[in-house]
Amino acid sequence: MTLDTQIIAALRSNTAGVSSSDLCNKLGITRAAIWARIESLRNQGYEIIASPHIGYRLVRSPDKLNADDLHAQIPSKQIIGRDLCVLEQTTSTNDEADRFARQGAREGLAVFAESQTRGRGRLGRIWSSPPRKGVWASILLRPPFTPAETTRITVMSAVSVARAIQLQTGLKPEIKWPNDILLKGRKTAGILTEMQAESDHVNYVILGIGLDVNQTQADFPAEVKPVATSLKIESGRAFSRTDIALALLRELDSDYRRLCAGKFSAIAEEWEGLCTTLGKEITVTVGNQQHRGRAESLDPSGALLLRTVFGRLERIIGGDVSIQKNR
Amino acid sequence: MDLKDLKSIIDLMRKNSVSELELEKEGFKIRLKRGAEEGQAVVHHEYRPVMGQPMMYSQPPITAGATGTAPEPVRVAEEGTEIKSPMIGTLYRSASPDAPPFVEIGQQVDPETVVCIIEAMKVMNEIKAEVRGVIAEIVADNSKPVEYGQVLFRIKPN
Repeated sequence: MTLDTQIIAALRSNTAGVSSSDLCNKLGITRAAIWARIESLRNQGYEIIASPHIGYRLVRSPDKLNADDLHAQIPSKQIIGRDLCVLEQTTSTNDEADRFARQGAREGLAVFAESQTRGRGRLGRIWSSPPRKGVWASILLRPPFTPAETTRITVMSAVSVARAIQLQTGLKPEIKWPNDILLKGRKTAGILTEMQAESDHVNYVILGIGLDVNQTQADFPAEVKPVATSLKIESGRAFSRTDIALALLRELDSDYRRLCAGKFSAIAEEWEGLCTTLGKEITVTVGNQQHRGRAESLDPSGALLLRTVFGRLERIIGGDVSIQKNR
Repeated sequence: MDLKDLKSIIDLMRKNSVSELELEKEGFKIRLKRGAEEGQAVVHHEYRPVMGQPMMYSQPPITAGATGTAPEPVRVAEEGTEIKSPMIGTLYRSASPDAPPFVEIGQQVDPETVVCIIEAMKVMNEIKAEVRGVIAEIVADNSKPVEYGQVLFRIKPN
């Protein structure tokens, strides 16, 4: 743990204030060194009051993701987020996580960026990631799965992201098959999983998550405006992106443990409860092919079973789902 | 670094058949990757403020197997070596609908060359050649479903 991590952790666990001498004892450094670190935190936007009676007290944190601050609040037993970094700007956090993965980083690494210049979705689509408006993150996993079993991570991540949003905001997220997270029918989070595998063995998986937190309507590019939303738009208030990021890591950690402990069916059940695509008339577009029908149910692997207009049951594992309106 | 430096690096890469190169200095990073056609270079670069350097905790250890072992010899294609699909999914021959295909017939590939992407439930799996050789046949079609074990490409020795 860095000094800043320890200082922030002490300030956060002593909301009434922590004395300079306590900090000195805890960290084994001088008063002057403590003061210098406090000054540096203030320069980063942390509002810290100092008074002779109560010592240092944290009154406000900046709207900024800070690796020390995140680290100070992540329980030591958590795998996801145990290694992390925050970048001011990058092309895509998936690219960065991929680079770390190639260098042998261990699983659980979380890469955050305050903005992405080439945030991406499926098939090279753009994910708008303006500075300090959302949580743009990639998680490195090394699951003990075959390539085919990795689709379970899609199911898992949708459940984790939806639950994190619900716990932090009280909003009621829905899942659009397979893992878009919607609020009142509009997309608020997207998840893109990229895998590096050999024929029978997964080297690693990068779970990329884009979560729209504090955007207003005006922050969205014209082409996604009609279909996108943010936590702020839906709830009428802004959220601490640090808290949202921590909730994401925590819920992912808990579900990933369940998944690795062989509890996929429990996760899939939770997913089914949140998936609002079921029962609807939908069109699935795969390349230049379209499948139309009623989304009937999910099979045990999470694939969508579509009852076509001809009564045949088709198993859908990819493509773009659009839900027919006015039915 | 200016355009002239870049050009000389690209020339060096071409001369020595280096397909990918990454260079990092304070606040500056560049990745050069040579494309499908001889001499064609794709340039990815980014500027990163020094203040925003990644902060890593407990430096990730190098995973077992990556240390102490001699590099494996490169596998070379035999006549009719097949690349098969490791999973059921949808095959994409390019990174996005308007991007050029990853590989074409006659193209030389290395074990690390990405030949296609297979998607299943939004998991994008980059399929690599895993051998050195030349693409002899493209068996599977773009945007079409593929089965587990289905042959996607055939590779021949060059």
